[in-house]
Amino acid sequence: MTSGEAARELLREFPVVDGHNDLPWALREQVRYDLDARDITADQSAHLHTDLPRLRAGGVGAQFWSVYVRTDAPDPVAATLEQIDCVRQLLTRHPEDLRPALTAADMEAARREGRIASLMGAEGGHSIANSLGTLRGLYGLGVRYLTLTHNDNVDWADSATDEPRAGGLTAFGREVVREMNRLGMLVDLSHVAATTMRDALDASSAPVIFSHSSARAVCDHPRNIPDDVLERLPANGGIAMVTFVPKFVLQAAVEWTAAADENMRAHGFHHLDTTPEAMKVHRAFEERHPRPVATVATVADHLDHMREVAGVDHLGIGGDYDGTAFTPDGLDDVSGYPNLIAELLDRGWSKADLTKLTWKNAVRVLDAAEDVARALQETRSPSHARIEDLDG
Amino acid sequence: MADLQDDLRPTTAAGGLDDLAGPYPEEAVVAAESYEPVSDPDDEPLTRAHAILAAHPVADGYNGLPWALKRLSSYDLELGESIVDTDVPRLRSGHVGVLFWSLHLPEGLDGDRAVGATLEQLDLAKSVVRTCDEGLRPACTAGQVADARNCGRVAVLLGPAGASAVGDSLGILRQLHVLGLRVLTLTGVSWASEAGLTRFGEEVVREMNRLGVIADLSGASPQTVRRVLSLSRVPVLCSRSAARAIRPHPANLPDDLLAELGAAKGLCLVPLTAEQTGPTVRDVADHLEHIREVAGAHCVGLSGTYDSGAAHPQELGDISCYPQLIAELLRRDWDEADVALLTWGNVQRVLRGADFTARAAQQRREQSTATIAELDG
Repeated sequence: MTSGEAARELLREFPVVDGHNDLPWALREQVRYDLDARDITADQSAHLHTDLPRLRAGGVGAQFWSVYVRTDAPDPVAATLEQIDCVRQLLTRHPEDLRPALTAADMEAARREGRIASLMGAEGGHSIANSLGTLRGLYGLGVRYLTLTHNDNVDWADSATDEPRAGGLTAFGREVVREMNRLGMLVDLSHVAATTMRDALDASSAPVIFSHSSARAVCDHPRNIPDDVLERLPANGGIAMVTFVPKFVLQAAVEWTAAADENMRAHGFHHLDTTPEAMKVHRAFEERHPRPVATVATVADHLDHMREVAGVDHLGIGGDYDGTAFTPDGLDDVSGYPNLIAELLDRGWSKADLTKLTWKNAVRVLDAAEDVARALQETRSPSHARIEDLDG
Repeated sequence: MADLQDDLRPTTAAGGLDDLAGPYPEEAVVAAESYEPVSDPDDEPLTRAHAILAAHPVADGYNGLPWALKRLSSYDLELGESIVDTDVPRLRSGHVGVLFWSLHLPEGLDGDRAVGATLEQLDLAKSVVRTCDEGLRPACTAGQVADARNCGRVAVLLGPAGASAVGDSLGILRQLHVLGLRVLTLTGVSWASEAGLTRFGEEVVREMNRLGVIADLSGASPQTVRRVLSLSRVPVLCSRSAARAIRPHPANLPDDLLAELGAAKGLCLVPLTAEQTGPTVRDVADHLEHIREVAGAHCVGLSGTYDSGAAHPQELGDISCYPQLIAELLRRDWDEADVALLTWGNVQRVLRGADFTARAAQQRREQSTATIAELDG
């Protein structure tokens, strides 16, 4: 049996739990939720990284659908509700393939039924508008993780990609974490500053996740996890779900992206500008400086290191498909996971280790968060703390 | 188990899904003909009022308790809380069986702040119910209201919320419904204004019908009222409207609209507020009589409006006072059947109609993906 065949066989039994997929955002931006215009029962590779045939080919068994909204949106709460509505519409349209899931037990039920467990994660504290009531509302609508920040700081937590302000979590930020523990909503530390990671690990009584982050020791980018934080995962019980985004995982791509962004700014454009004029400048840059290409091996290098530092019980996968312009060779879209598993088999990872990476660890974390929540709800009522009271 | 039977009735009509004769099943309206009296006509009016209310408790269409509790550091609704007008002992003395909890926001909140504040209101309401599970029970459907009653609990329904809560988005409307929203007041937004309903506003009403969210038209412009009456396949309600012929107030309904509301089997819930109805029990009874006359006995109900900041008529100072009001109506020779419709029957009919229509509509109609930009330009 080739390692590719072995990978597929393994994924049939223990499919991938992916921590982060931005299909809802792509549907919002591309077609304003016109789901007929992007029928995911058919091949959508011309527009999307994600559709049902490719999820099936990729051996995906559970997906945290991101209900991300922009941090500069004038209406982050409203937009988040619309993103949740989009996920619900997808679930209503595709009951044969997608199974609504709120708990670890739901995930296992989906695996038995051969459907893809569909969970939701909100990407950034801006989605709760400094309100624990709104946080509980999102939980009530099925959101099972909140990434504490996106690319910008929130009032109560520092982002990895913004200027330090709170120095980690504020008092209200710690209260958010405690309330998430009480609810059973996973604390997601992707995107946050290392100071926030450490503060959240101190404050959380439940396992945390990194829904889509890799190792900073392998590739020095603020979106990745420093070793001292990875080392804390065994005590916490949480998982780091490796991401594939080339500009985070490949050092040459980090440097190339920095140069490309600088080039855009030198021409008077914002580095994320995608207007035709801006793209023309970008293409000219790319012609002079070929874009470095990440591969399956690049991602496997991160996993090797993360296994070394955090241990095999504290790993997972979070591809960030449809949330990134570029993907590594061999992991081009959601059908690519078997290539990663095959690469790890070739590197000598055992089947037992791989089933933890793909399925078991993530289910264990959600299950543990539910246990913590049940225990906390015995003694603690919903927090009505307000940011102005705690942070002054 | 009259309630359980009541709840089943609409389902028996489900054979004709594709050609519902009227906007909602008719048969609930004729229930009064089979009414069996529960009080002794020779008893004092107040004694009779208690007997009737024990069998047909009050479905109170508007109450602001959760927000009144916000200023208290601690409270015990089961033991009694004199700072507010609503607590479990007084709900029991007043024979209240259903409370609609208002989610209306302070003036001036709109856009994302209105959506976020509504999520907070829903959360607060649920947390108050949880602290009081011996007395209160959350309910969404007519069936759950019946269940609550059979368990000796007051059913709490969430709404009305203001139209700004839905952030001009049908997706948000759907998520608020998931969180329990049951009534939406169609005023104060671009798509439901003095000028009436826009095309998007009409789509909101259709989506509300599909979900089972009831339209509240108190304070809506006559244009909006008329358009919703013709469009909605579920009876509507006016959560806080009295008779303008008796007392001029912008939210009180003129006779022509009352008659149209009655013809559409909608519901006018009369607020027990001095401002809208007048300073005495007799004033409130005058409104109820007038509305019964103009719109019909099937179209009048009660909305205490307690804990919302309003001043109440004398003798109706808190939620325990419903027997005094019912006694006044009995003194005016209301028959028991009409009292039973006023307190309980009419609201149950509207809830059942909304449930029925939603079940039927969800078979036939996909959720709407229309946007305000598409429809209103």
